[in-house]
Amino acid sequence: MSVTITHEDVADLCTGSVFLATGGGGDPYISQILVQEALKKYGPVDLLPLADLPDDALVVTIGEVGAPSVSLEQLPIGTECLDVIDRFEEWVGRKITHIVSFEVGGANSVIPLIAAAAKNIPLIDGDGMARALPEAQMMTFAIEGVRPTPALAVDYTGGCVYFDTADAVLYERQVRNLAMAMGGMVFTAEHPMTSEEARRAIIPGTISFALRLGRLLRENFGNAGLVEKPLKDLFDSSDYGLLKHLYTGKIVDINRKTVGGFDVGEAVIESVGGKQGPMHLSIKNEFLVATVDGQVVASVPDLITMVDHETSSPINSERVHYGQRVTIFGIGCPPHYRTERALKVVAPRAFGFDFDFVPIEKL
Amino acid sequence: MRIGIDVGGTHTDAVILDDQKVIASTKVLTSANVRDGVVNALDEVLEQSGIDHVAIEAVMIGTTQFTNAVIERRELAPTAIVRVALPSGELVPPMIDWPDDIADALGRNVYMIHGGRTYDGFPIAPLSDEEIDEVIKDLIGSGIKHIAVSAVFSPSDPLQEIEVAARIQQKIPDARITLSHKIGRMGLLERENAALLNASLLPLADKVVDSFSGALADRQISCPFYVSQNDGTLMSAEFAAEFPALTFASGPTNSLRGASLLTQLNDAVVVDIGGTTSDIGVLQDGFPRQSNVAIDVGGVRTNFRMPDIHAIGLGGGSLVLDDGSTIGPQSVGYKLVTEGMVFGGNTLTATDITVASGAADIGDATKLTGLESSVIETAVAKIHSIIDAGIDQMKSSRDPVPVILVGGGAVLVSRSLETASELMRPEHSGVANAIGAANAQVGSETERIVSYRRIPRDQVLEEMTALLKSELIHAGAEGETVKIADIEETAVSYMADESTRIRVKMIGDLSFGQKGGS
Repeated sequence: MSVTITHEDVADLCTGSVFLATGGGGDPYISQILVQEALKKYGPVDLLPLADLPDDALVVTIGEVGAPSVSLEQLPIGTECLDVIDRFEEWVGRKITHIVSFEVGGANSVIPLIAAAAKNIPLIDGDGMARALPEAQMMTFAIEGVRPTPALAVDYTGGCVYFDTADAVLYERQVRNLAMAMGGMVFTAEHPMTSEEARRAIIPGTISFALRLGRLLRENFGNAGLVEKPLKDLFDSSDYGLLKHLYTGKIVDINRKTVGGFDVGEAVIESVGGKQGPMHLSIKNEFLVATVDGQVVASVPDLITMVDHETSSPINSERVHYGQRVTIFGIGCPPHYRTERALKVVAPRAFGFDFDFVPIEKL
Repeated sequence: MRIGIDVGGTHTDAVILDDQKVIASTKVLTSANVRDGVVNALDEVLEQSGIDHVAIEAVMIGTTQFTNAVIERRELAPTAIVRVALPSGELVPPMIDWPDDIADALGRNVYMIHGGRTYDGFPIAPLSDEEIDEVIKDLIGSGIKHIAVSAVFSPSDPLQEIEVAARIQQKIPDARITLSHKIGRMGLLERENAALLNASLLPLADKVVDSFSGALADRQISCPFYVSQNDGTLMSAEFAAEFPALTFASGPTNSLRGASLLTQLNDAVVVDIGGTTSDIGVLQDGFPRQSNVAIDVGGVRTNFRMPDIHAIGLGGGSLVLDDGSTIGPQSVGYKLVTEGMVFGGNTLTATDITVASGAADIGDATKLTGLESSVIETAVAKIHSIIDAGIDQMKSSRDPVPVILVGGGAVLVSRSLETASELMRPEHSGVANAIGAANAQVGSETERIVSYRRIPRDQVLEEMTALLKSELIHAGAEGETVKIADIEETAVSYMADESTRIRVKMIGDLSFGQKGGS
């Protein structure tokens, strides 16, 4: 059954996306405003279930690449995601029949709604991460062998750069350097897919799931103890599966430094009453690994989400500060990330940790 | 001798300080014209102290007049915004997320022109003479005189804002223009919101600053006077008339500063216990710790420097339920003096519990003889555990910290607190705001996003500190006392160029005859 998104749903969708962003993805405030305006102007958008994708589709993924914190100052024009579609069609000489999000975490979960509303191109209910992760080669599109190009990136001047690179890691380097040269943020159309590729590579249902999640968090506004049960039920009925309460406590230390353009750091959380040893949370833009007493209790690609204990609002990693009372949830990732091929690029070792991934349900 | 004055919505407080010593203090009603209330307060403290007006070296005033005007949507001038940013931000125009009532109060006079800079200083687009002329023509046509100007990354490079403003000023000589980089930090929407609110408050600022100087003139006090800002520092009267929005939230800041001065503690947690809530704030190096989330002023998102205040639902009027195991957040509030049991009422409040425990002598304790001792004990323990939890959430290390108790409800804390290494209950805490105002220093901060690979850190710091020092001297500081108060550096995420957001804050002593303050 298809799900319709109206301008009144956008705030909930953003909340759900910040929850699934596991600390990364940046503040979606500006995108939220843009999408709300677009949906007011052009009307609601129906999400297309992946199962309903016709056989002769040309699916293209669109979104923004760069530094979310820079875009709070240099705002997007607001039409970039339309521009990338026009230019892509002109370049490859074919109509894009369907679009899909990079990631359901942060701004990119809502940006494609603008294109879907304004251009009336069906938006597939799904994405390439089911969460947020920092680099292009970590998207399921790349993992499933979809070529990243032909791809193009539109910058703030309205200028456009075209890419023809077979390798996702090389493409990631190229596009990130372009973003840096062009004010910190570019919009791309990339990873074009046939119907067969799209069915294999897209994680289905994640956009409508983020909306349901955001709604649940609004309707059950209250402390994390009360929200846990409805959250469990929701995740249980999805591809994510298990949601596990990992820890409740107070942030007693947070340190961050920059390594290779990423925010790397660690948060230490102490339990109330000292019943358990402290939790250590490793951060590389996203929350990647959680340990208690030296034992891993959850790790990437499974999701680690931090919420404010009193309100259950998800907390972005740049907003973590000493003294916050927080609850940490661990959540299974969809099966797309559990394959051997996927784990090569998204397991703890891919981020420089010296241990193998163990699924959360076995921890 | 200095006079500190706090002009609140209800009360105007005044103190006379001789260095750190409180010589006189008073609390009078705020008058509708502000001026009479200030005159009354001055009369009271001058009479109490017997000090001659010529002995007064400086007057410092804190006020909530401007915050209240925004919240109540009154006395706001029709205001225009000129944003220098196109093509960026085309579909996210200024005021897009404002509540209708306040957007209507200012009018929706929005102009967007080409220009601005990227994070690394590259021009987004050149300024266009035709566009600027067009805006000026339109402004002349509409007769709007209050104008805010914002440009992308103006905190790093303000030249375009300055140029556009100069062009407007040339054609509209009586225009009053607020430049966004003068008033806010990174975050274009929030910064231009602050500039808009500020520009719209300029007529009220003239009026308020005039009534301050009028009141002082009435009492022949001719020394300079200053107005306190939300970060606990002062600005000159002329500066305040130009930047009234910088007074938002100066109330809690002055209260924290006052607590610091009264106790001589620079690092402590301050708990201001009122009738319904307790406000918990943190002093770091004698100044309030600032909040790091977007602050709403009357429904408008801003990124003002505001103290990080944690309000908990516990005060002298909090209801005591469930045999003492539940206290607050419901409260009888200002009706405590009629509804509280010690005052002959029928509602068991936190104040009643404190009296029953023998920790305070308020009202008639005989009204409480029916209370079971187990209820009293449970409730007293609960009061302390609520405050402990609140302090724990705010303090900046895991060790116990000095705690300063102020406000009318401070008697509620009668035992030691787990989170407190020591408990201080300073005298004169009822006029802590006025004391805080009287002791403020001048301070200023600036922010940039830079890549140290391109510009060495030393050079960045040198440029920033030189700029701040000249700003501070302009605001009334003595040059040789100006020093760096804080340097904060954060990585800009997802950038491979190791870009860093650097924020520098400097403070200095005010230049007046005999130096006060710490």
